[in-house]
Amino acid sequence: MAGEVPIEQLADDMFQVVSDSAGQKKLKAKDLTKAVIAKYGDKISKDDTKAAIKLLIDSGRCVYGYFGGSSIELPHTEASANE
Amino acid sequence: MATTERRTDIGPPHYDKFLHPIIKENYGKWKYHDTLRAGVLVHVGETGSIYTVRAASPRLISTNFIRLMTGLATKYSDGYLRFTSRNNVEFLLGNKDNIDPLIKELSDNGVPVGGLNNSISNVVHTQGWVHCHSAATDASGLVKVVMDELYEYFVEMKLPHKLRLAVACCLNMCGAVHASDIAILGLHRTPPRIDHSTLPNLCEIPTTVASCPNNAIRPTSIEGKTTVKVDEDKCMYCGNCFTVCPAMPMADPLNDGVSIWVGGKISNARTEPMFTKLAIPFLPNNPPRWPEVTEAVKNIVEVYAKNAKPYERVGEWINRIGWPKFFDLTGIEFTKYHLDDFRYAGTTYRRSMHNRY
Amino acid sequence: MSDELKTPLLDELEKGPWPSFIKDLKSMADRPMVKDLLGQLEKSYRDKRGYWKHGGLVGIMGYGGGVIGRYSAIPEDFPGVSHFHTVRVNQPSGWFYTSEALNEIMDIWDEHGSGLTNMHGSTGDMVLLGTTTQELEPIFRELTAKDWDLGGSGSDLRTPSCCIGPARCQNACYDTLALTYNITHKYQDELHRPMFNYKYKIKMSGCPNDCTAAMARSDMAIIGIWKDDIQIDQSAIAEYVDSGFNIQEYVIEKCPTKCITLEGKELKIDNSDCLKCVHCINVLPKALSPGKERGAAIALGGKAPIVEGALFATLIVPFIEIDEENGFEEVHDLLERIWEFWDEHGMNRERIGEFIERVTLKTFLEGIGVEPMPQQITQPRDNPYIFYEEYYEEETE
Repeated sequence: MAGEVPIEQLADDMFQVVSDSAGQKKLKAKDLTKAVIAKYGDKISKDDTKAAIKLLIDSGRCVYGYFGGSSIELPHTEASANE
Repeated sequence: MATTERRTDIGPPHYDKFLHPIIKENYGKWKYHDTLRAGVLVHVGETGSIYTVRAASPRLISTNFIRLMTGLATKYSDGYLRFTSRNNVEFLLGNKDNIDPLIKELSDNGVPVGGLNNSISNVVHTQGWVHCHSAATDASGLVKVVMDELYEYFVEMKLPHKLRLAVACCLNMCGAVHASDIAILGLHRTPPRIDHSTLPNLCEIPTTVASCPNNAIRPTSIEGKTTVKVDEDKCMYCGNCFTVCPAMPMADPLNDGVSIWVGGKISNARTEPMFTKLAIPFLPNNPPRWPEVTEAVKNIVEVYAKNAKPYERVGEWINRIGWPKFFDLTGIEFTKYHLDDFRYAGTTYRRSMHNRY
Repeated sequence: MSDELKTPLLDELEKGPWPSFIKDLKSMADRPMVKDLLGQLEKSYRDKRGYWKHGGLVGIMGYGGGVIGRYSAIPEDFPGVSHFHTVRVNQPSGWFYTSEALNEIMDIWDEHGSGLTNMHGSTGDMVLLGTTTQELEPIFRELTAKDWDLGGSGSDLRTPSCCIGPARCQNACYDTLALTYNITHKYQDELHRPMFNYKYKIKMSGCPNDCTAAMARSDMAIIGIWKDDIQIDQSAIAEYVDSGFNIQEYVIEKCPTKCITLEGKELKIDNSDCLKCVHCINVLPKALSPGKERGAAIALGGKAPIVEGALFATLIVPFIEIDEENGFEEVHDLLERIWEFWDEHGMNRERIGEFIERVTLKTFLEGIGVEPMPQQITQPRDNPYIFYEEYYEEETE
């Protein structure tokens, strides 16, 4: 059943996934969704995962990045940025 | 203002707020339209008529230019104006007596009126050197010099049919030039130069490898760090790797330049939509006025104007006369680069005896 | 800021009859940003190359789309354009404005940005060109206070756009403005928070003239069409004939299926052969208009060359009712099935057109639950390499 896992918990799990792969692989929203679905199966829905990503980004713990495709990353100063 | 509550996901305002009262009344109830003269339309509805004056715009415009336009709209079109999908400015007038003074004031400010029916409409184009990281040429400058040459075809309606020009400054084609009557396309001609010192930090190797349409990029190791190498024989200089990996810059002042493409169309009128095809594989970047490009485009326009029948778009005209005759009439050299060698290339090979001799 | 601005190459672009963007930019050269933009552009014209770096992490808090990061590659020479980010503002349907509304946006932009714009970008947004990272949040706050929001960028739903539709065109077969407004508002999350494999553009054209170039430029082209007979005003036909207009040469002979005849001053159309190409309607606007049974056709997969080559969209649904009364539910339903299947099986940076080519139309149609129809193809296959899924086994009937 969808909605069984608190959105905060999903966002925390997603943050862990992003942290674990930081510096190795840039993850997309889809990767985060797949990771939590693998963990919770049909206890959660797509709407839950969308809400979790929104929470994750709005909390400032992660930001969107873009290089040819969009990614979700830890906030950092990118190499191309000028002061 | 900074203390305003933060709103998100509100979407654009409803278009209803921006419609002229005559448009609101006749929304969905238009009977027909007529072209009164170059750049001026009337649409006749059930309860009234709306007059449209179409003006050119360089698309890259300042707030000064926009305030000039909004000022004229306030003065002549009850404060209503719009932009077209080709970036023309359209004034929507309820009072036809305002047409002449509006056109005069536009003209006094160096803004021509036209771009309707059998003319060249505003040129769809991209950012170029003004703002883009992957541009092989400038776009605004090319549009300016080409339209200086073709000005008469914007302000008069003397072509066989409409002619759509577009400029894109690299193969990304943000201007989607691939379905225009004549397209000017900036391109690179040399493979990316790889900065192995920054690539391992800046770029993700699998994404960079996957970005290449021709599988020319492979992972490699240099001084213990994973980076990539490019099989230069396979590289088509598309720049897609640079889009995902900034450590693979494409810019090459000596070799970047412009190609010319012809015969595309979007509309379904008469014939199906068509892609543009290669006419001229390479012309040099010769700013500020790109004389080779303006001459080449003007030549194609003039040969088309002279030879096409009424209601024939450039592509329809070429399909009628055949490509050999197109190269004859325009004097454009046919080269090995005109032969396709990418996906589905075989579909462009002649597999019949149908040729004009 | 650099010294006195000298632009001998760009000055050449002040000549000639076409409106000069250089003249326009120079009218603002008292602003450090515009002055250094001109300076850097002059250098590009001299060196024949661009000097910009892409910034991938620049944006508005909470959104993954709407801002394109841009930095000068030579900020020491042109500090005014050290940051020169783009803000995409979602345009109203049909690009209609009032002077007042546009002036309000320009006030915000003059205060917080370079004052330069593109009206509009290729996808449809108002493009505010050139600001710094620090100004992004104030711009966003002031825009939203005036009821404007940002458009899309990255792997998200890009800002939908449409032709002028019923607002000023008698050929509009459905309300392109209403559908664009509806889809844009319904899918704000998809527009602002990139969640797709790659970008997804939707363009709405009211008839097969396709004034938004949806077939070439959008992943989903929703194109107005009708099913019944072209409406003819015979008295207007008679007026065209009396005026000396050559209907035979310019209309009848141009008809792709030759289904039009003129008998005296009466025009007859064999509508069973009509391809809905709209040539005759374009040429005789006072006499002809689309039929009354109107809706849209939906084609998927139009795109420019990157990565696997340019594609026109493929017709998937030959006719769908565009029903505003029930909130455009049928369109939403189809759109969501497409996104779901593409999300499940598509690859990173794979546009829907490339996805359909890879998995084949047959698999794609099955995946989104649309029946195969002869309207979707130009011809049946001409090769015999058929993957049969049904066959008899011993001892079955």
